[in-house]
Amino acid sequence: MFRQTKRRALGRRNFESSVHINAYDNSLKAQELLETVYPSRLSLYTLPPQNEITLDQFETWAIDRLKVLLEIEACIQNGRPLKETEQVIKPLLAKLLPLTATSKDAELLVKERKKDHVSHYILRLAFCKSEELRVRFVRAETTLFKIRFMSCSMSEQKEFTDRLSLPWEAVGDSTKRKLADKLYNACHGVIRNYLVLNSGGANANISEDHIKSFFNQESFLKVPFEYIGDLIATKSVYLHLGFGYVPQVSVLSLLASEFQTSMTRDLLVTRKFLSQLDEDDRVLPVLNHLSQGYVAAEIQSDFTQSDSDVTDITADSVISEGIARHYPLCGTNLVKGVLANHHLRFQGRQQLTLFLKGIGLNIDQAMIFWQKQFTSGPGAMTIDKFQKEYRYNIRHSYGLEGARINYRPYDCRQILKHPRPAKGEYHGCPYRDFTSERLVVQLEEMGINDKQSQVEVLDQKEMGNYQNACTKVFELTHKSQMEKLAASGLGKTYKVDQTSIAHPNQYFERSRNLERWLDKAGEMAK
Amino acid sequence: MTLEDVTNIEQEAGKLAGKPQETVTSVANVSDQPASSRITQADFEEYYKHFLPFKSIYAWLNHSPLPNLKFGHREFAMEHFNTQYQRYCCFTSSNEFKDAIVKASPSRFEVGAIYNENLKNKIKGQKSANLKPVEKELNFDIDLTDYDDIRTCCAKTDICLKCWKFINLAVNIMDVTLREDFGFENLIWVFSGRRGVHCWVSDPRARVLDESKRRSIIEYVMLKSGKNGSDKLSLRKPYHPLVERALKMCTKSFQEIIMEDQDPWRDDEKAITHLAKTFPDSKLKDALTSKWKAQPGRSSLQKWKDVDELIEKGQYVSSRTIAGLNQDWKREIILSCLYPKLDIEVSRQLNHLLKSPFCIHPKTGNVCVPFDPKDGDFDPLSGPTLQKLFEERSEGRESCLKPYVEIFDRFVQGLNKEELAKRKTENKENLDF
Repeated sequence: MFRQTKRRALGRRNFESSVHINAYDNSLKAQELLETVYPSRLSLYTLPPQNEITLDQFETWAIDRLKVLLEIEACIQNGRPLKETEQVIKPLLAKLLPLTATSKDAELLVKERKKDHVSHYILRLAFCKSEELRVRFVRAETTLFKIRFMSCSMSEQKEFTDRLSLPWEAVGDSTKRKLADKLYNACHGVIRNYLVLNSGGANANISEDHIKSFFNQESFLKVPFEYIGDLIATKSVYLHLGFGYVPQVSVLSLLASEFQTSMTRDLLVTRKFLSQLDEDDRVLPVLNHLSQGYVAAEIQSDFTQSDSDVTDITADSVISEGIARHYPLCGTNLVKGVLANHHLRFQGRQQLTLFLKGIGLNIDQAMIFWQKQFTSGPGAMTIDKFQKEYRYNIRHSYGLEGARINYRPYDCRQILKHPRPAKGEYHGCPYRDFTSERLVVQLEEMGINDKQSQVEVLDQKEMGNYQNACTKVFELTHKSQMEKLAASGLGKTYKVDQTSIAHPNQYFERSRNLERWLDKAGEMAK
Repeated sequence: MTLEDVTNIEQEAGKLAGKPQETVTSVANVSDQPASSRITQADFEEYYKHFLPFKSIYAWLNHSPLPNLKFGHREFAMEHFNTQYQRYCCFTSSNEFKDAIVKASPSRFEVGAIYNENLKNKIKGQKSANLKPVEKELNFDIDLTDYDDIRTCCAKTDICLKCWKFINLAVNIMDVTLREDFGFENLIWVFSGRRGVHCWVSDPRARVLDESKRRSIIEYVMLKSGKNGSDKLSLRKPYHPLVERALKMCTKSFQEIIMEDQDPWRDDEKAITHLAKTFPDSKLKDALTSKWKAQPGRSSLQKWKDVDELIEKGQYVSSRTIAGLNQDWKREIILSCLYPKLDIEVSRQLNHLLKSPFCIHPKTGNVCVPFDPKDGDFDPLSGPTLQKLFEERSEGRESCLKPYVEIFDRFVQGLNKEELAKRKTENKENLDF
């Protein structure tokens, strides 16, 4: 206890005299830092950063990284293979988190690597809070690591792995000779794939001799099977008495799983220690804001929300044309369900309550909304019944009852994970749950009338890319607005957000945002 | 909260626990047993009181004959005689364990995971957000119903010595895979009491595997590629050493089990779907189909040979290619008939429960006895039953359960010896500091 307080006090003092520290920091030559802290642009992030940064850097660096991770997450959700994800992410990385391999400019290298290092650790703080956030964060970070590793040269990769201390053991030549047949048969596919990838793609003609000579040159590592889940699952290694024999070409898979396990473990530790940070009123709001960053649009939006924007979401307005036209199909469908039945079953209620909460409906207005919808109209329940049976449920969703968890709106992944709607239920994702015929009717209601566009959406549905279908619909229904804006005075300032929809609230924000920009453009034209 | 919400939550909880619905209905169709041989709750009580080796089970799950706090973290579940299913039971000692089971006399009890906290708190209704399973034996479940496509001697819940050969072969293949590839040493096989077997791997290294590692292991030991358990085998050439070894074992038994005992392709329809339609050459595919339509009722062996004959007779551009295709195709057929068919969920989920060894199968009265494949093939028809045990006792004869308890104790001793040695070296290391 004593030590803790002392350390915190020390930290404060450092901050006050940061000029001094920075001067010291700079005096440590960049070249020296490169050799000690940042020897490679690849990192397993085993050590936390020690440097001081400004609060401003704290936030912008974290947001830059978050943007990358969110896009990776969208790619994963859409089932894109790693190679494709790499293509999508690369330009984004170059812009937001560049890592130059070699340069004479040591200061540039240190600057880039420091930003990468620090931003990773800030997001650790923001995403350690719940199991769900941790899983998502680790998955996205692991993918990012894989992408970066793949873009390194062989020699850079080897240099990096040699520096790690993991329970691996090099397989000697005599062992390799003794096991040659088994090793060859086990990793034949991996070597073949590697050669194909490195000699011009799928059309490359790889001969058996080619694979054999590669195999003869290849070195192997002996690794406990616990470290190589992926390689085992695909039968890509020879396994004997609890050890896998991993060819050098498969080291990425090995590193990725090590990266994943150690980070999952560390995040839990971070979570425990985060409580000690509670008193820091500068950092906590930023962290909270970051972890709410499920909505890409919220961060990417260049609008600062004014007070009037917040208050125009009311019990009445949420079903008005002005607001409801920004809903994704799942939201529209739920609203339709309430209006038609004066009731919604459990799953639907959860999904809609949280969605509306996400767009800014506060608890008082939410209560008015639900009570009004549930108790008016033919066959509706009494106010008494509503108060008895549903009030608690709604307050619960707002974190005011029971475990008092402030639930966040479901993202697409959660919605797709919940049980599918039965007859008379309205929750779920219409792009998955509706029949093609029913979906076409809906598309026409949204104004998508031409057959070609409808087919494009249905194709995505058929392939199981429900979020792509939703993104497509957004593009189709907002096409004219986007064109108008592009032609306006703000055309150059407005950045079109092309990331895929991963959250119903993201759809809403993006749609509303576009409208706001158009209004602004209109005003400017006056 | 409405009733609807409660059911929703309950369903959710059921799903989370990975507990299939079967427990609800399992005792519904008792009709396949004559009324006289139905087992009463008093029979169960009698068995638990006098026969079930609680001390052995305790020593096994406790990883030591000495009391260990962690035993109280272990989940048990009981299926009560009235089919009610009770989860999150826990016991602190061997005696408490026995007393509780005798008192409740459930129709069976199951063993689950070790949790990070003592389950007593959960039972008292105290909320614990952090309760989660941290350790469990690695399980495998093989069931004869998964072979119904290919077995002809029996169907559904029935078994005989002929179709039990499928299980024995599967056990041998799995046993060698777990020992040679993963280096596991402390594993025991247990008859499930009717038509299958369970495997419990108790090595410390296996117990601490998380779900994703368990999943990797299952994928490693399975040959099917399809995510939804589609029937297509995914065999890359050259074969992985695991496939090569299994192929050798399966080929040895193929003649006897498939050609002689089961003869599944005497059925022409089946032969066409299983054999003709899967052959990777359309010309031969058609030739086989029309031959078997023209001469119905030929035996599986004849049909198997027909493939070679038609290839010899047929005019193929490259006889070497077709011979290669034929060889690979035959290997795939052999593996798809005989390679172990596993229930994935049992192995994957950390919190999955599995019936304890030495329980009684409530419908057959068979004791779920352990066996070691090294001692030779297990015979499910001559194992101990409740009836036999009661008879022996009333006649004052030695119990036929004894050798099985000995097999189990041998296994537990081996396991605990290792645990003790491990603890000793750990203590030593601590002292060195």
